[in-house]
Amino acid sequence: MTIVPFGECALLVELGDRIDEALAARARAIADAWEALGHGPAVPAYASAVLHFDPLALDPAGAERLAGALLAGASPEGAAAPSRTIEIATIYDGPDLAAVAEASSLTVEELVALHASRAYTTFFLGFLPGFAYCGTLDPRIVAPRLARPRARVPAGSVAVAAGQTAVYPFDSPGGWRLIGRTGVRLYDPAADPPTLLRAGDLIRFVPAAPSAGAATAKDPGSSASGPDG
Amino acid sequence: MIHLHAAGFAATVQDRGRFGHLRSGLPTAGPADPPAFALALALAGLPAGAAAIEIVGLPFAFSCDDRRIVAVTGREATLRGHAALPTWSAVLARPRQELVVRGTSRTRFAYLAVSGGLDLAPVLGSLATHLPSATGPVPRALTAGDALALRGGPADPGAAGTGVPAPAYDGPVRAIPGPHVSRFDDAALRTFFGEPFRVAAESDRMGLRLEGPAPSPEPGELLTCGVVAGAVQVPPGGAPIVLLADHQTTGGYPVIATVIAADLGRVAQAAPGEELRFARATRDEAVAALAAERRLLGAVR
Repeated sequence: MTIVPFGECALLVELGDRIDEALAARARAIADAWEALGHGPAVPAYASAVLHFDPLALDPAGAERLAGALLAGASPEGAAAPSRTIEIATIYDGPDLAAVAEASSLTVEELVALHASRAYTTFFLGFLPGFAYCGTLDPRIVAPRLARPRARVPAGSVAVAAGQTAVYPFDSPGGWRLIGRTGVRLYDPAADPPTLLRAGDLIRFVPAAPSAGAATAKDPGSSASGPDG
Repeated sequence: MIHLHAAGFAATVQDRGRFGHLRSGLPTAGPADPPAFALALALAGLPAGAAAIEIVGLPFAFSCDDRRIVAVTGREATLRGHAALPTWSAVLARPRQELVVRGTSRTRFAYLAVSGGLDLAPVLGSLATHLPSATGPVPRALTAGDALALRGGPADPGAAGTGVPAPAYDGPVRAIPGPHVSRFDDAALRTFFGEPFRVAAESDRMGLRLEGPAPSPEPGELLTCGVVAGAVQVPPGGAPIVLLADHQTTGGYPVIATVIAADLGRVAQAAPGEELRFARATRDEAVAALAAERRLLGAVR
């Protein structure tokens, strides 16, 4: 664990260097605890958290002492709020579907069944408003990032890359492999919070026929699905 | 009301930024050149949380229904009514008088603040516009013909006249090494802090792209982590990107250094083709520069 300056207005807390549900939960707990102090926002990711502060209100050495105390105190289970399960109706017809199946030595039907068989943990949101980094994929799904990212990935694309899966909320450049699409709206600036998915949620992709595409959010605790369900 | 007669090509309403939804992946937005924005607010008599117009593309022409104090800031921005008027100053705008903001090829961002402030309701806790996600009370680029409501009434003419010197936009950009400095060897760091870069044409509100020397990181994957405005990301090819107001909340490239807050405007306003150099700064120097900026704002207010 390290605490390093990120400019004069933030610190980067690093907890490890792997994708791991316990590390991501700890990063969220540290971010929550930092925000509760009222010095500024925090941005958790897989195994790190960026802690913002105003160096004229809280001197950087003082910020480091506070962050150190949080690391010593925040329990890994600190962020264990009851998770919701969000279902994403998905039409599996993405342009990379066949290639991912072939690289994984699977049929398309087997790939779809594997991708839809798990509830994935939402580790954190980033990259685009409402873009949730979810995982982890069944290790049989082989999907390295594209060597040359696409200039435009359509909004609603369901994608996989390097053990992770996600849905693109907007048209954007992107380097993940596209296996399907959904009509679900992931970002709505008129809602608060503006995103369908939140860190800690479980998400499940449900194969759908073309024309489907709705998401349903169940109440916290109402799902019996585990992360490997 | 303020009426826009010419609006450039990507003028937006901005406040200092939306910091409450970073964990939704929503960029802060806010001004690309925060020091120039903050000075425009202060000169127009507005509090730090108020909104102003960020102007991209010139000319920008406007008039107000009633008497207002207006302040225009930004690199090499100029202001004209019937005659030339000062920028970086509190200027009296008479009712329905047309004022025109112009600049040079180096004016990437200019700011217009109007006394009373824009009368808008916050969206997700802020008045800032994030164009890519259409977030904000005016979630689009402003166009000629737009009219925006203003708060307050006619300004006291005695409030005009205050001015500050335009800040220097040339000279090296100060940056603090890290946080991923251990992923760069000594040669890459010497390159980064020693050699001039050239500003690439693809630069925008998300980031300033640089060409020229290549302070490449050592091979190896980095786990995506949160990033801040001013972070200098270096993709494997070695062409650095300095993150600006609309930057993504997280990034996966190593960050060799972070531009100090007081010099963010110098980065944002660097024009394509211009040379840019980085100078190594300490965190203490960065805090001192920020304190000087705040003292100037306090003196104007």
